[in-house]
Amino acid sequence: MGYHTIVIGGGVAGMQCASELLRQGVAVTILEKESELGGKIRNWHKLFPTFTPAEEVLAELRSRLISSPNLAVRTGCEAAKIASDRVVLTSGEVLECDSVVVATGFTLFDAKVKEEYGYGIYDNVITSADLERMFNEGAVRLKSGVTPRRIAILHCVGSRDEKVCQRHCSKVCCVTGVKQAMELKRMFPGADIFNFYMDIRMFGPGYEEMYREAQVDYNVHFVRGRISEVSPTIDCRLQIKAEDTLTGRPLKMAVDMLVLLVGMKSNALNENLVAECGLKAQPSGFMQPRDSFLHNVESNREGIFYAGAVTAPKNVGESMNEGTAAARAVVEWLAKR
Amino acid sequence: MEISDMTFFASFCIPFIAGASIMFAVIAVKYISWLRNLPRKDWRLIAKGVFSMSTLRALWEVVRESLLHRRIFKVDARLGYMHMSLAFGWFLLIAVGWAETVAYLGFQWVPLQGHVFFKYFVPLNGITAHKPVFDFAMDFLLLFVLSGVAMAWLKRLRSRALGMRKTTNHILFDRVALSALWFVFPLRLLAESVTAAIYGGGSFLTGGLGRLLDSVMGEGALGYAYEPLWWMYSLALGIFFVAMPFSRYMHIFTEIPLIFLRHYRLRPEAMEKSYDNFEVEACSRCGICIDPCQLQSQLGINEVQSVYFLRDRRYNMLQQKIANNCLMCGRCEQVCPVGINLNTLRLNSRSSMRNIPHEGRYNYLRGVDRSLGEGRVGYFAGCMTLLTPNTMSSMKRIFEAAGEEVWWADKEGGACCGRPLMLSGEVDSARKMVEYNKSLFAKHGITTLVTSCPICLKVFREEYHLEGVEVLHHSEYILRLMEQGRLNVGREQGATFTYHDPCELGRGSGIYDEPRAVIEAVGELLEPEHTRHDALCCGSSVANTAISDAQQLKIAQGVASQLEETGAQTIVTACPLCKKAIARGATRQVADLSEIVARCIK
Repeated sequence: MGYHTIVIGGGVAGMQCASELLRQGVAVTILEKESELGGKIRNWHKLFPTFTPAEEVLAELRSRLISSPNLAVRTGCEAAKIASDRVVLTSGEVLECDSVVVATGFTLFDAKVKEEYGYGIYDNVITSADLERMFNEGAVRLKSGVTPRRIAILHCVGSRDEKVCQRHCSKVCCVTGVKQAMELKRMFPGADIFNFYMDIRMFGPGYEEMYREAQVDYNVHFVRGRISEVSPTIDCRLQIKAEDTLTGRPLKMAVDMLVLLVGMKSNALNENLVAECGLKAQPSGFMQPRDSFLHNVESNREGIFYAGAVTAPKNVGESMNEGTAAARAVVEWLAKR
Repeated sequence: MEISDMTFFASFCIPFIAGASIMFAVIAVKYISWLRNLPRKDWRLIAKGVFSMSTLRALWEVVRESLLHRRIFKVDARLGYMHMSLAFGWFLLIAVGWAETVAYLGFQWVPLQGHVFFKYFVPLNGITAHKPVFDFAMDFLLLFVLSGVAMAWLKRLRSRALGMRKTTNHILFDRVALSALWFVFPLRLLAESVTAAIYGGGSFLTGGLGRLLDSVMGEGALGYAYEPLWWMYSLALGIFFVAMPFSRYMHIFTEIPLIFLRHYRLRPEAMEKSYDNFEVEACSRCGICIDPCQLQSQLGINEVQSVYFLRDRRYNMLQQKIANNCLMCGRCEQVCPVGINLNTLRLNSRSSMRNIPHEGRYNYLRGVDRSLGEGRVGYFAGCMTLLTPNTMSSMKRIFEAAGEEVWWADKEGGACCGRPLMLSGEVDSARKMVEYNKSLFAKHGITTLVTSCPICLKVFREEYHLEGVEVLHHSEYILRLMEQGRLNVGREQGATFTYHDPCELGRGSGIYDEPRAVIEAVGELLEPEHTRHDALCCGSSVANTAISDAQQLKIAQGVASQLEETGAQTIVTACPLCKKAIARGATRQVADLSEIVARCIK
């Protein structure tokens, strides 16, 4: 056909979209701001609910892209301005094209904003992303080098929290919390693991079963209540205060490690898409598709498409599906034009 | 002619006489009922103050504020002139007018309308001699007042021309009174000018306008206009007087007793009381409180400002959504030309609407106290500081460096200071917290109580009555440690800071210099545009339960950008709530005062 599409973002959605476009004969340029493709799951250990290694998924996605003469991958560069026929990079370089897919994903919530949880202040307060990195490194240790014996996992850090203006649910953290609790339990069978939650939202196939398995087979404890504050104890552990809202009683507990399940924030670059490119965002900051049902991978501007978590929190499978859907929408649009 | 033979009545005087009688009667009824219902404590204060220097000081303030309007001049000279020309000008017209009748008739009793419509009665009683000096003085004063009226008209059309971004949105009743007042002086000018044209007299203004009217209209037409103009003047006065006690203009006669009572140390309190009537009705609805309100400037909320709160409270139509939608930052109180205690009045309104203590809710206070240890100094972090642990750990380092034995008051047993409940009007519930904490403090024998939360500080100082315990904000405490040489800090080379005055610390507790002195000991301090008394509110005030987090964030962003304009590397504040609020809206580092000190300890 001789068409050229620019895919902005080389995460799972962007990679899947690119491979689908290539398969249909469209030339693709992927713009990736990091030094290599893969996006957020590059730093992830295993994916719920099957405990599939993230690297396995990435390897397959990479192999679909390899050896296509129609693909150009530009790493280490960012888009400053987007139109359907051109993308201007932050370097000032202009790339011509016939359509654009925005697959820029999300930004992880910065746990330091919730100062009361002590991230960056106390040694053994970590985020879910830090824990995945530790899993990849093969060892979860306290700062002192010893293994943790009691771990608390706090859900909804930067999600469903009006105080930090993040009203939306990040959707994947609940099941991530369950998954990480199980992985920790496999690593430290003798450890006590407590998940502090508001609701447990098990929306996907196999998730609810996982949640039950965590309780029945892994003996992970679930406490309904948000942790209000964290302070250090004399012996360098962490004292957490919470309310067990099922019993209606305040609760204090000393733990060795606190894992914060950080939520998905709308991508920090979305503001620029709204201000500079005439695209629309939702009140949550995530981009607004043209229609939630019939045109959910299209933007409000002709020739600009969305795929993945740029429009809402999504899991890996959903993001990849959107990559495929966006590719198909691009091809249809190019043919009709 | 002998004065006993003179007439000082004409039928056109009836509206004026009726209006003035109604006005004085209503005011008398109001005064009597307000005074009668004053609590005994307030009466004792009046009895103590009335024969003291306070009375003279109050009298001087009445001249300064009710006549000259010095405080409005401070806000804006144009506004000040407008209010002064109306108030002081009208007062002088009455005073000089009285002197004029004395000059003509000697010290004789003349009925009120005789003074007010003197120019009408002069020819009526066959007096032909004129007194040009008085004519000139009265014309001059009338011109003075008219210039104020012209400015008032202009202000309605274009408030910015008089230095106000927004002016009050008046209710119908105020508009009637306002219109009547606007017509009083132009009608007086016309009536007196026509009188001067027909009977002579008048100076540059009334005489001049009279001659002009005469040449344009002819003497016959003037004769027809003569009586109707005096009627209209009298009617305008009458309407204004009837409307006055029920409208904003009640402030004219309420501000004066208010000034005296205030000098006798009467104040509004946590619960509504009769004295509040003097404060509420002394509001002239000038609207000067609107512009400083960030709910207005940042969020476009237009119906909650103090002027509207007082109006609604006065007419018994106050709703919770108005009473609760206020940051209590005190920026309006700072500029109120009448000096009304706006925050206290709003609080006691909230209390009247909301103070229903829940008896079971605070049972948990029994069994909370697991406190141990002793110390000369007690440190009360406060709930918000517990949520900003960087401040806690910094204070810990400061205490250690100074070698202070500290008892951590709220680590193992402290409860909330009670002020958030007070701010929401739940005074009785708050008292449970106060009593609990007081007994906790007493148990550990502290002599100094340090807190890093200005919200707690204010309630400790004003409501706790901690005899024998000195209450200090951590900014005061840190500065004292430095001055005593117990805390040695080094300067951070090239470090620049800007300081955000927390409302509760600055306007609330008058602490402006101590935090600045501490900052200047560790680096360079750059002042933002709005600072000290004029400092902005961070927007997350616990006093406001009405606005959303997104609205709070918008205010915080406004504050943060103004602080960042200074170019300082770090935004410093001395309140954990402000810190959290500004950090949400800032792109630069936001730190508590204790943090920047702790990292410079030598």
